[in-house]
Amino acid sequence: MTIAVLLKQVPDTTAKISVNGGRVDENAVSKWSFSPYDEYALEAALQLKESVGGEIVAITAGPARCEKLLRDAAAVGADTLVHVSADNINHLDSTQVQKLLAAAVQKSGASVIFCGKQAADTNAGSTGPGVAELIGASCVTLVSEVSSDGGGYVVTRPSSAGYEKVVASAPCVFAFDKGVSEMRRPNVRGIMMAKKKPIETWSLGDLGVDIQANGVNIDSHSPPAEKPPGQKFEGAESVSTVVSKLRDEANVI
Amino acid sequence: MECTVIAETSGNSIHPITAQLVGAASSLGATPTVVIPGGAGAEEAASIEGVSKVISVVGDYFSTFDSGAWASAIAPQCSGVVIAGATPIGREVASRVAAKRGIPIIQDATGLKSGITITRPIYSGKVVETSTVSGDCVITLRANAFDAAGSGGSASVNVVDQSADISIAVKEAISKASERLDVSEANIIISGGRGIGEKENFSNLEDVADIIGAAVGASRAVVDEWGMPHSMQVGQTGKTVTPSLYIAVGISGAIQHLAGMRSSKYIVAINKDPDAPIFGVADYGIVATWEEAVPALKSALAAL
Amino acid sequence: MPFEALDFYDVDSLLTDEERMVRDMVRDFVDEEVIPKIEHACRDGVFPDEWRVALGEMGVLGAPLKGYDCPGLSYTAYGVICRELERGDSGLRSFASVQGSLAMYPIWDFGSEEQKQHYLPKMASGEWIGCFGLTEPDYGSNPGDMITKAEDMGDHYLLNGAKMWITNGTIAQLAVVWAKLDGVIRGFIVEKGDPGFSAPEMKGKHSLKASVTSELVFQDCKIPKDRILPGVKGLRGPFSCLNNARYGISWGAVGAAQACFDSAREYSLSRIQFTHPIASYQLVQNKLAWMLREITKAQLLAYHLGQKKDAGTWIPEHISLAKMNNVDIALEIAREARDIHGANGILDEYCIMRHMANLESVKTYEGTHDIHNLILGRHITGIQAFTREL
Ligand SMILES: Cc1cc2nc3c(=O)[nH]c(=O)nc-3n(C[C@H](O)[C@H](O)[C@H](O)COP(=O)(O)OP(=O)(O)OC[C@H]3O[C@@H](n4cnc5c(N)ncnc54)[C@H](O)[C@@H]3O)c2cc1C
Ligand SMILES: Cc1cc2nc3c(=O)[nH]c(=O)nc-3n(C[C@H](O)[C@H](O)[C@H](O)COP(=O)(O)OP(=O)(O)OC[C@H]3O[C@@H](n4cnc5c(N)ncnc54)[C@H](O)[C@@H]3O)c2cc1C
Repeated sequence: MTIAVLLKQVPDTTAKISVNGGRVDENAVSKWSFSPYDEYALEAALQLKESVGGEIVAITAGPARCEKLLRDAAAVGADTLVHVSADNINHLDSTQVQKLLAAAVQKSGASVIFCGKQAADTNAGSTGPGVAELIGASCVTLVSEVSSDGGGYVVTRPSSAGYEKVVASAPCVFAFDKGVSEMRRPNVRGIMMAKKKPIETWSLGDLGVDIQANGVNIDSHSPPAEKPPGQKFEGAESVSTVVSKLRDEANVI
Repeated sequence: MECTVIAETSGNSIHPITAQLVGAASSLGATPTVVIPGGAGAEEAASIEGVSKVISVVGDYFSTFDSGAWASAIAPQCSGVVIAGATPIGREVASRVAAKRGIPIIQDATGLKSGITITRPIYSGKVVETSTVSGDCVITLRANAFDAAGSGGSASVNVVDQSADISIAVKEAISKASERLDVSEANIIISGGRGIGEKENFSNLEDVADIIGAAVGASRAVVDEWGMPHSMQVGQTGKTVTPSLYIAVGISGAIQHLAGMRSSKYIVAINKDPDAPIFGVADYGIVATWEEAVPALKSALAAL
Repeated sequence: MPFEALDFYDVDSLLTDEERMVRDMVRDFVDEEVIPKIEHACRDGVFPDEWRVALGEMGVLGAPLKGYDCPGLSYTAYGVICRELERGDSGLRSFASVQGSLAMYPIWDFGSEEQKQHYLPKMASGEWIGCFGLTEPDYGSNPGDMITKAEDMGDHYLLNGAKMWITNGTIAQLAVVWAKLDGVIRGFIVEKGDPGFSAPEMKGKHSLKASVTSELVFQDCKIPKDRILPGVKGLRGPFSCLNNARYGISWGAVGAAQACFDSAREYSLSRIQFTHPIASYQLVQNKLAWMLREITKAQLLAYHLGQKKDAGTWIPEHISLAKMNNVDIALEIAREARDIHGANGILDEYCIMRHMANLESVKTYEGTHDIHNLILGRHITGIQAFTREL
């Protein structure tokens, strides 16, 4: 069994994001990391491999800096490293990104795909289900746990009542929410092995994908509007006003 | 402009976000078709102002959420620009509809202008992205970011009985023991301080938390003095939290407390002392005793 | 919040990818498992056993040693590991220094093939802890005059004497003990449970509270003949171990200084006095600028020394300079940081006072500050000033 884990390198969630010339300034990002949900996906894949065997292919699409991410994945146990070389990954629209990843998954031979429910930069969450659609796979999102069950997989996801365990079989995509275990820490042996592991770089040509004109054009990135200055209200009567402001102005409930 | 809204359902009726999706479509000059996966609340949907027609897609696979089956059933009805809610189900189904049609998807939009120009927060709200789509696309909208369309419409309802292959089966349903969220994971936190008077009064905050799915936090004064668990403590020597909403009740706002919560997106303070430093960081300050304000908060939230 | 280490000159960009990955691994460990527990460990005066397990699992013990299941990293990587550990606590770094440089290293360099195969894999994995017995109650800076002695009894050795201030002693499965055999200093491996050997813990430390310090007592302690380290005679044995450990300390001190700087900067920005953050006052800025300056210099010293260690172009005096300087400035930075924190600086809520107290030990062990001055003095002038017999 080959498990593909889709990993995205994003600015660390604590890193400061600055905008320069209408675009997020990637050069100013102090630290790049795994997207946090991808870490849960990778850990769950490693555990699945430990229980039933198989091979893990770590796939990332992005510029050269992403190779670090693959090495980090190798250090904790990914077997094969695939870099889909795409310098402008954040400027491709979802159709193009999904086409690239779906082609890479197919080339890797994997029939089970683990990924995060959304990447911590765009927070979109289109990739897992989109790739599933393109390769004709079933998809479960917001997954916290996966185990093997004979031919299929038992997957835990939230439901309106709490949780449910659903069964799915390959080909399938599991998009992880916070999983049950944090990603393991690497060790020196893993790091030394990761250093030696080859990274396969697949170009668009290798994947037989040609990138078309973007359907979506990014006009600009800008810092969020300044919050209005704090407002102060007298008395408990004002509570309902504040609650409606929380809903309509702040959009937080 | 041709436009389809994928309705969000909740039990036997449509979810209120559906009217917001229609409202957003109308603001683009569209008179959308509303497609209802599973068909619940069709009449309700038909009465939303601005809807041109309602298509109820029915089939027994709608009893289990399988985005593959759902998307294949509704995609034939989704033409033009497709709008759905940025809810877990909405996002997943919309992604598959977009991939099926080979058109791009933009998730979690908070603003739309005809053109279509879309704004959405990225990097957890640290940046706003503005983009323009040229052809058809799928857009999911953040709940409560758009005005809901009114009622009074009278669109026709078509029922389409569609077959689809389901590939996911529910094996076991587990109802959630109501375990309290941890402050470091919660999107909303309500914290209490010494002003709450005594430990037992925290149950009032827990009631509020249950309504909005919040975690309950505490200042160090109450953790130390009333023996509340340290895991609840917010502040320099407790947890550093960044929820989208932080409600501080009876907390003065000492610098060490602020260190743990001042990066919250929105802060509400309830304190009887108008000069309490917590008001200096609050987006919405309420000068009142918690005895009056917390019950009012509870009923206002329950009424949402 | 993950720790963002002060690195003004971007010295870490000179590290290899592998060294940076090791750094991140240890840094995460310290953030997640050391910082949240350290104050507790200090109050209880214990070295948490799970740290031993984690160090073994990460595979950082005996970092620069090759073969026998040892990590085989560069000396620079070893330095980075020490720095990251000591950012958590000097006691944690002491554990790793003693295990790697003072217990594993002599076996690796001076042990027999059988000894290496028997001990090193277990020590690299953390299963067995080692300690290093050189200092005696009456002989500290002057270990050459030690009185612990070994006698060859034909089919075994008999050890008599006592060692003092021995890190890890009570929790160790084995001790590398330096004792005189026919008047010549030799290394012996003593195992826990050997007849006549005990290792009572020393209590009441105000420094390195999360590190175990012990006495080693030998009363007609009988050990098999194959426990002598065949490969070295004289002070060169213990001194080669000390060279490696001191080298690690020169990096470790930078970690402690970075932690104090970080806390002082944060605190000065949030502490308001006379209506403004104290960070806005020139006197405070002057202190912070001085810390930045000294930390940056210390980082460059440590890094360059690491390169020399890896290239084999170092002399012991290079290490003396770096150990002495970096510990000295770290201690001074801790004191300045304490001052910036005002009264809060004395609380164990902040790392400051702990680092400050720890660094007092670090200043003394592995060659006191002034002993390193004397080593450099001898190097400069060619005249040794340790004793009066010139
Ligand atoms: C090194 C250090 C670290 C610290 N770390 C933390 C930390 O991590 N987290 C933390 O919280 N604190 C921390 N503190 C403690 C901090 O300085 C404050 O003492 C603490 O936050 C005060 O808690 P409080 O706001 O609940 O209590 P108080 O300061 O006593 O405030 C109580 C508030 O309740 C209001 N009130 C009273 N009755 C009512 C009522 N009926 N209705 C509404 N409001 C009412 C009062 O007006 C007052 O503002 C730390 C202190 C130190 C020295
Ligand atoms: C926490 C801790 C852990 C330790 N762990 C170990 C361990 O694991 N193994 C081990 O063998 N030892 C260990 N030591 C012992 C340490 O190496 C000694 O303390 C150190 O070598 C200094 O010896 P001393 O304490 O006897 O001081 P002394 O040698 O008595 O020195 C006292 C003072 O006199 C000065 N001085 C000494 N000689 C001269 C001179 N000729 N000229 C000028 N000044 C001089 C010194 O600089 C110092 O200021 C540890 C010590 C501590 C505090």
